[in-house]
This record gives sequence, C-alpha cells and structure tokens, in this order.
Amino acid sequence: MMIAEYFSFLPFGKYAFYVWSSYIIFFVTVFWLFYRTKKIHERIFNQLRIKYDREDNK
Amino acid sequence: MWKWIQAFASPQNFYRISGTLIPWFLYPFVLLVTIGLYWGLYVAPIDYQQGDSYRIIFIHVPAAWMSMLVYLIMAISAGIGLIWQIKLANVVAKVSAPIGAGFTFLALVTGSIWGKPMWGTWWVWDARLTSELILLFLYLAYMSLNNAFDNPKKAAKASSILALVGIINLPIIHYSVKWWNTLHQGASISSMDKIAAPAIHPDMLWPLLIMVVAFQLMYAALVLQRGRDEILFNEQNMRWVKDLIKGGER
Repeated sequence: MMIAEYFSFLPFGKYAFYVWSSYIIFFVTVFWLFYRTKKIHERIFNQLRIKYDREDNK
Repeated sequence: MWKWIQAFASPQNFYRISGTLIPWFLYPFVLLVTIGLYWGLYVAPIDYQQGDSYRIIFIHVPAAWMSMLVYLIMAISAGIGLIWQIKLANVVAKVSAPIGAGFTFLALVTGSIWGKPMWGTWWVWDARLTSELILLFLYLAYMSLNNAFDNPKKAAKASSILALVGIINLPIIHYSVKWWNTLHQGASISSMDKIAAPAIHPDMLWPLLIMVVAFQLMYAALVLQRGRDEILFNEQNMRWVKDLIKGGER
C-alpha cells in the first residue's frame, strides 16, 4: 500500500501505481512487438542483399 | 472463393497483397487505440466497487481474448500446414506465436497488477490464471521447438503437432471459471447468455470493445508484416525474391 500512496498524486488516486504501471507495460509490449518486427525485416533484407551481391560477384 | 484463396496462398501473391493490406490495419489500429485509451482512461466513469483500478481491464481483457484467438489461429494454421502441406499456413503459425506470447504475457502481468489491490495478492494458483500461464508456456514451447531443427519441414511438423495438442487448453481457459470455484470472476460479456445483456455499463463496454478491435487490427498488421519477411527468407532461392531485393523494394 505504501507504493500506491506514493503514486497518489497521479490521476486515479490510490490506484495510480497499478493503473499506470499496467499501461506502461502495455506500451512497452506493443512497442517491443513492432520494434522486433522492424528489426527482423531489416535483418532479412540485409542478409539477402549480401547473399545476392556475393552470388553476382562470383 | 477457393480460387481466390489458392491465389492468395501463393507466396508471391501473399507478399504483394499483404503489402497493400498492412496500412489498412495499421492506421485504424493507431486511431482506435487512441480513442479506446482516451475513452477508457478519461471518459468512462469510476466503478462504484473497484474505483479506478478497473481501468486495467481495457488492456487486460483484450489481451486475454487475443491470447486465445491467436493460439486458435496458430493451431488451425499449423493443422492446415501439417495436413495439406500449405507453406503459407506454416508461415502464419510460426509468425503468430511470438505475437500471441506477447498478448498472453500482457494478460498475465496486467491481471496480476489488478489482482494486488482487488484480491490482496499478485498471484494465486487459480484455474483461470494457471491455465493462462500454461498457454504462455505452450507459446514458448512452440517457438523453441520451431527453432530447434535445422530442417524447416521437420521444425514445422514437430511444432504443428505441439500446437494441435495444446489446443485442448483453450476450452479449459474459457470454462475454468465455470468448471472450478475460482477467485477469478466469471464472464461479463463473452459467454452466449451475456452477449445480449452484458453485465457491464455501455460507457465501460464501448471502450473495451474498441480496444478489442484495435488489438485484432494490431495482430493482423504484425502477422502480415512478419509473414512477408518469413516468406522472403523461405523463398530466397526464387527469382522474384532476388529481383525484389536487388530492386530495393520493401
């Protein structure tokens, strides 16, 4: 309950800690899913580009 | 219809069509998640029993529903891939797993955070919570098994069997609150008798439904993008992939 009281200055009073921490985890998870998708996309494109360049230069 | 499905199931067509579809899922997702969060966090009234803590349901419930829906899609795709050897079905199953695991993780963590002020504990070995945790382990096991083989065909076969066996967990999650005496509350809107008369006020129901649609759009956008990349990797020896990469098209 101490943590909840510490965050009581935020909207949602004594539940502010629980509500905002849930929404932070939500944003982090969504960001992570999109970030990983972007990274996989870049990795595959770069990997294939290097492979085709190597094949063409043989 | 069957012809259209067959045409769409060809990797090259899937790559092309999905590229057109992604923005149609992504932008409505951003719009709906903004509306849903604003409505859920600021417009919806305070619950007379739970106070503001109930606002966690606007992410917890859609995440929990999606965790089951994505598993169902994953298992059906895995089954189609296993029986009819359709490459695209295996791709959908494979790329759905990490997204479904993300939703399951979100459902478990937000449920735990809601449980602390409401139940007085972060976790109980309740049938609903335990079966949802098993779902997370099933996703992780599927991903591990899929990456454990060098041969993609063997990997798809082994992980598909696991996905199909794991489908038994879905009715257990859904009916756990009916079959056992659980601390987790029963269905408020998802059971057939509750659809006509939901036990939740419209001011709280609408943002919840908007968030559910937003989560579905997010899944669609992510699965299409990840599916496109998986197809490029699998079809790397095909001429069209080489032309596409060399042409610098994304």
